[in-house]
Amino acid sequence: MSGRTASVAALAVLVTVSSCGTPSERRGRVTEDVTRFERALDAGQPAQLCAALAPSTREELEQAAKTRCERAIGEQGLPRAGAVRSVDVYGGQARVVLEHDTVFLARFTDGWKVTAAGCRPRPQQPYQCEIKSG
Amino acid sequence: MSAAPETREGTAPIGRRVRLFLRHNSLGLFFVTAFLLALSGQAVAGHAEFNNQLVADGLEPIGFGAYLTTSDFGVDVMENWQSEYLQFFLYIFGTVYLLQRGSPESKELGRAGIESDQDQMVGEHAADDSPRWAAATGWRTAVYSRSLGLVMGTIFLLSFLAQSVTGVAAYNEQQLRQLQAPVSWSAYLSSADFWSRTLQNWQSELLAVASMAVLAIYLRQRGSPESKPVGASHSATGVEG
Repeated sequence: MSGRTASVAALAVLVTVSSCGTPSERRGRVTEDVTRFERALDAGQPAQLCAALAPSTREELEQAAKTRCERAIGEQGLPRAGAVRSVDVYGGQARVVLEHDTVFLARFTDGWKVTAAGCRPRPQQPYQCEIKSG
Repeated sequence: MSAAPETREGTAPIGRRVRLFLRHNSLGLFFVTAFLLALSGQAVAGHAEFNNQLVADGLEPIGFGAYLTTSDFGVDVMENWQSEYLQFFLYIFGTVYLLQRGSPESKELGRAGIESDQDQMVGEHAADDSPRWAAATGWRTAVYSRSLGLVMGTIFLLSFLAQSVTGVAAYNEQQLRQLQAPVSWSAYLSSADFWSRTLQNWQSELLAVASMAVLAIYLRQRGSPESKPVGASHSATGVEG
């Protein structure tokens, strides 16, 4: 029976920690990628901003604006976000709350990509975001 | 297992010993094997469903090994484990005190309770081949006398805790995917998701136990120790086939 108990505990630990590093390591990687996104925003580098978007978010942005991402993203009015206040990572999804913005990300093979940005919380409803996937 | 087959197992040729081992342990071996097959099937189906949802949301699918470490798989496994162990914990403790007239799942009427030391073969009433802790006195007998229920109850609590930990992680992953705020573990414990997962499992386990206790009054399964003998009367209580 102690073997079964150990299996339950081991599974819980495995599931909690996940295969992609410890929670603090994952939060660190998410913070790095968001910081890179915010630096590109501050520096007005549309190519880097578009490269940081998840494919479906980029596609939605281009379809809505009927132009290339590099042109469209400058017209979205994304706020200067400021410093990172908190990072939540669950599985392949993350939320980063910054001083003046909230950004959502998803994990891809080549790193964390922004799925939604320019987001404002709404009571009892999903965040309202300037850019997001369809 | 009786002493005679063990002796035969010990002296027989290896092939015969293996066959005897398999036959004498077929109940446990069958269910452990079936459990592993069902868990594997659940993992395969769960992985496909998880990836279908990721692709539909424009996200990247994950490999099978990565899926096995997700909270999504973890909570699906844990919510079933906790309810099964709760079922057996309740049944083991409940049948000490609760009776069901005519059911082979019940003790004989009038024997509710923990019974006498003589009936339970503990302390000075222990036999030569009784477990050592049954023959001992004090806390060891007290613990061993409740060890089956205690272990089932402990596994229930651990798997229920694991369900809450994996459940909040899976719930929050879904929340973030839908651009909603995550919740804390304590908030999750009072959430609809947690109690929906929990109660849908508990109700089915309790129904299964109630069905077994009551249907076995009137129905028979020839040769099964879970049934009364086919010819036993409907009013015979505590009789196993």
